[in-house]
Amino acid sequence: MTTTRGFPLRVLPALLLVTLALCGPWIAPHAIDTPVTAPYAEPGADAVLGGDQLGRDVLSRLLAGGRELVVSSLLVAVLVTAVAAVLSAVGALRPAVGRIVERAADVLMLLPAVLGILLVTLSWPGGGRLAVVAAAVALGVPYAVRLVAGAAAPVAATGYVEAAAAGGERLWHLVWREILPNLRATLLALFGLRFVAAVYLVATAGFLQVGPQPPAADWALMIRENSAGILLNPWAVVAPSAAIGLLALSVNLAAAALAPQTGRKAVPVL
Amino acid sequence: MLLKRAALLALLLALVFCAVELLPGDAANATSERGESAADIDRRRALLGLDRPVLERFWDWMSGLPTGDLGTSARGEPVTDLLSTAFPNTLLLGGIALLLTATLSLTLGCWAALRPGGRTDRAVSGTATAVLALPEFVVAVALVLVLSLWTGWLPAVTLTDVDGTPDSWTMLVLPALALTIPQTGWNVRIVRAALADEARAPHVETAVLDGLPPHRVLTHHVLPGALPTIAAGLATSTGMLLGGAVVVETIFNYPGIGSVLASAVTDRDSPVIAGVTALAGAVITVVLLLADLVRDLMAGGRR
Repeated sequence: MTTTRGFPLRVLPALLLVTLALCGPWIAPHAIDTPVTAPYAEPGADAVLGGDQLGRDVLSRLLAGGRELVVSSLLVAVLVTAVAAVLSAVGALRPAVGRIVERAADVLMLLPAVLGILLVTLSWPGGGRLAVVAAAVALGVPYAVRLVAGAAAPVAATGYVEAAAAGGERLWHLVWREILPNLRATLLALFGLRFVAAVYLVATAGFLQVGPQPPAADWALMIRENSAGILLNPWAVVAPSAAIGLLALSVNLAAAALAPQTGRKAVPVL
Repeated sequence: MLLKRAALLALLLALVFCAVELLPGDAANATSERGESAADIDRRRALLGLDRPVLERFWDWMSGLPTGDLGTSARGEPVTDLLSTAFPNTLLLGGIALLLTATLSLTLGCWAALRPGGRTDRAVSGTATAVLALPEFVVAVALVLVLSLWTGWLPAVTLTDVDGTPDSWTMLVLPALALTIPQTGWNVRIVRAALADEARAPHVETAVLDGLPPHRVLTHHVLPGALPTIAAGLATSTGMLLGGAVVVETIFNYPGIGSVLASAVTDRDSPVIAGVTALAGAVITVVLLLADLVRDLMAGGRR
């Protein structure tokens, strides 16, 4: 086990970045929707990172553009982990449910997540941010259930769970009181991995313009909008790219620190 | 095996149709232009056949699929026509990326496995873990900046020939790399873990005790046993590659399904998305079948 070595060091960058993204909108020096300089202006005194395609301050939009991405990703990770935890605990106690979940995962393997998100957001035009979150949850749960189900099965087969079941305890009591408390380590690791996957999906949806819509400041959207001016003011593209890249890297580093190192089992989960 | 995979694909297609059907929003509304009356929209709805019963349309769509009929887009064009030049281009790009991913992750994974726990091993595994979470478009932006704008080595956009294919092979390099880098991250980890698992098998220990050189133990005793897991990992990557291709194509203006989907996004054209999903599902099914085949071959060889 190498998980505990340097643990705070591996989780700290992610915490810092997430906090910065959440507080960013309050410390932005300029308004995010009014021009302060020329379109694609180079960095200067009034705009440290230059202007975007409408001359809006890149730094302010950068500070403001991470909150939705982080909040949506956290929401997806929490929902996927919670749903997967309950489904796998029920599946471990009731094999019929377990088989249905397994088949559902087989089917969804055939659907690339990006296409799945496009499908849901386009068929549900009023859905907006909610549609992206709903699609990401629906696509993530089957993979997550596979991981948790592997850990839940041995717990469900232990003597004390069987004794409680024989004692006439209800299904919910068994799930909440007997099985889930024993899966804390697995669930924490799963949460980290699903947060990584969610950052990827929510950012990609933003880039494909099915998430936040244009006047909004959003890192992925900024990259898409400003790529035409990459030669004039590279910062308008590089800064949000670096932000998403750093967020993905640091969150992934933290998730790897949370995950129990059990060889192959820890690998194919995205 | 074939039957089970086919049944799963049919189930996915049914699911896709239901998603398009059950969610609010419809192609006739989505393509409406300003000032169009409700009667106009109703007329187009009738033209697109959207007023017929759901089950009837579902049967039409599903029964058309085996013959290559993917239905009609919101603008009234057959979806098959829209995709007939774009999809092969995407398959070419995805195929190159899959090949690169397989070569790179096998090479790096084996290289790391020959020195377990050493500096190389840790460097390879660490880098793999770092890049696997990067979205393709972030990798693409970095590649464009370094290899195209700063050094000028490779073109940053794809120019298209008259027959709808990329003008030169150099235009395939950056999109393929942008797809390959994150997927290699995943697969190196899978290869490394599968090799480590297999290295604990008794027959490998015997081979080591026989004094065989490490690379021979790796290629003749460890790798064959690990291949089914590696093949399954690569097969799972196919879906990520096809999804990532959509994103990467929009950046490089590559003439694949990505550009078709980009206009479908503006039109809210869900029949096109459903068609692309059907094709992608079919490709992934074929790749998963190949992975099954590798597993059976390896199991057969061991018996």
